[in-house]
Amino acid sequence: MAHPSQLGFQDAASPVMEELLHFHDHTLMIVFLISTLVLYIIVAMVTTKLTDKLILDSQVIEIIWTLLPAMILILIALPSLRILYLMDEINDPHLTIKAMGHQWYWSYEYTDYEDLGFDSYMIPTQDLAPGQFRLLETDHRMVVPLNSPTRILISADDVLHSWAVPSLGIKMDAVPGRLNQTAFITSRPGVFFGQCSEICGANHSFMPIVVEAVPLEHFENWSSMMLQDT
Amino acid sequence: MSFQEGERGWTVMAGEEGAGQEKGFKLLGILDVQRTPCARDAILHGAGGSVAAGMLFFLSTSRVRRSFDVGFAGFMLTTLGSWFYCRMNNAKLRVQQRVIQEGIRNKVVYEGTSLDPTNRPRADAPSGPS
Repeated sequence: MAHPSQLGFQDAASPVMEELLHFHDHTLMIVFLISTLVLYIIVAMVTTKLTDKLILDSQVIEIIWTLLPAMILILIALPSLRILYLMDEINDPHLTIKAMGHQWYWSYEYTDYEDLGFDSYMIPTQDLAPGQFRLLETDHRMVVPLNSPTRILISADDVLHSWAVPSLGIKMDAVPGRLNQTAFITSRPGVFFGQCSEICGANHSFMPIVVEAVPLEHFENWSSMMLQDT
Repeated sequence: MSFQEGERGWTVMAGEEGAGQEKGFKLLGILDVQRTPCARDAILHGAGGSVAAGMLFFLSTSRVRRSFDVGFAGFMLTTLGSWFYCRMNNAKLRVQQRVIQEGIRNKVVYEGTSLDPTNRPRADAPSGPS
């Protein structure tokens, strides 16, 4: 999860997010170099004693500052497009989960084998156990098996919502009357937090998402336990 | 942050955050040199290349201002070169890591079966009717 005053990304929990982190580092280095160059040019322009009031054009510099940005943009675009297509690859999911956005909670349905469905409400601050995270914990988590490609179908019951989990690199709008699909693989066990990312009313900030990645055996035990409870 | 086993499985508990976590140093406020892989090496190589290029130019021409320009150009080129070289090597290592992980996973699944890639046919086994 995010820590207070965090500016950068959270650690990646899926291969796609790892790729996004690497791409971000690559682009940030380019941005840093361009910023340094601009800073240097500003200092050089301000401190120079040279002046030429009669200069009208300069073909060389025009060519340089056309070709150089074009090359930089290609350098950024190629890895970007690679990741874009990587995110759209069909990866034969082992499990399909439906996530429905409501005002103001999420509900999850695991209907591949049995009819398992439950709601996921935020735990109010006054009911938190010591060590739990304020505004992030929910009463029921979306549990997924580790290292298994999982498809998630996202929709909404009433107004627009958005299902987002930053450490998995996922954000997908939940639109009433529309089914949006995305897929992910959790590459390490853990608990990953997210929050609703589309304004949906008074309690928009109080409908978090919690994904728990566990080994398959634990996932099977959990789903049996949930089926018995319902 | 620590994981503790609770009623509903593993729970993330807020622990002693920051113990062992250094505050990253950001160049120009944007590039976290300590946490970004290859960044520290690239900047250090760039600084070295800049000093070397600037000094060499100055020693050969005695032009101060132009030496700074050459030094800066050296910084840009050396940083970029070092960055891409390191990132390329990192990317190759990551691919190898994934292949190895996949192999370990498959080994557990396929060991002892006919799909085991390490299964070699025995030389003394009869291949046809005797």
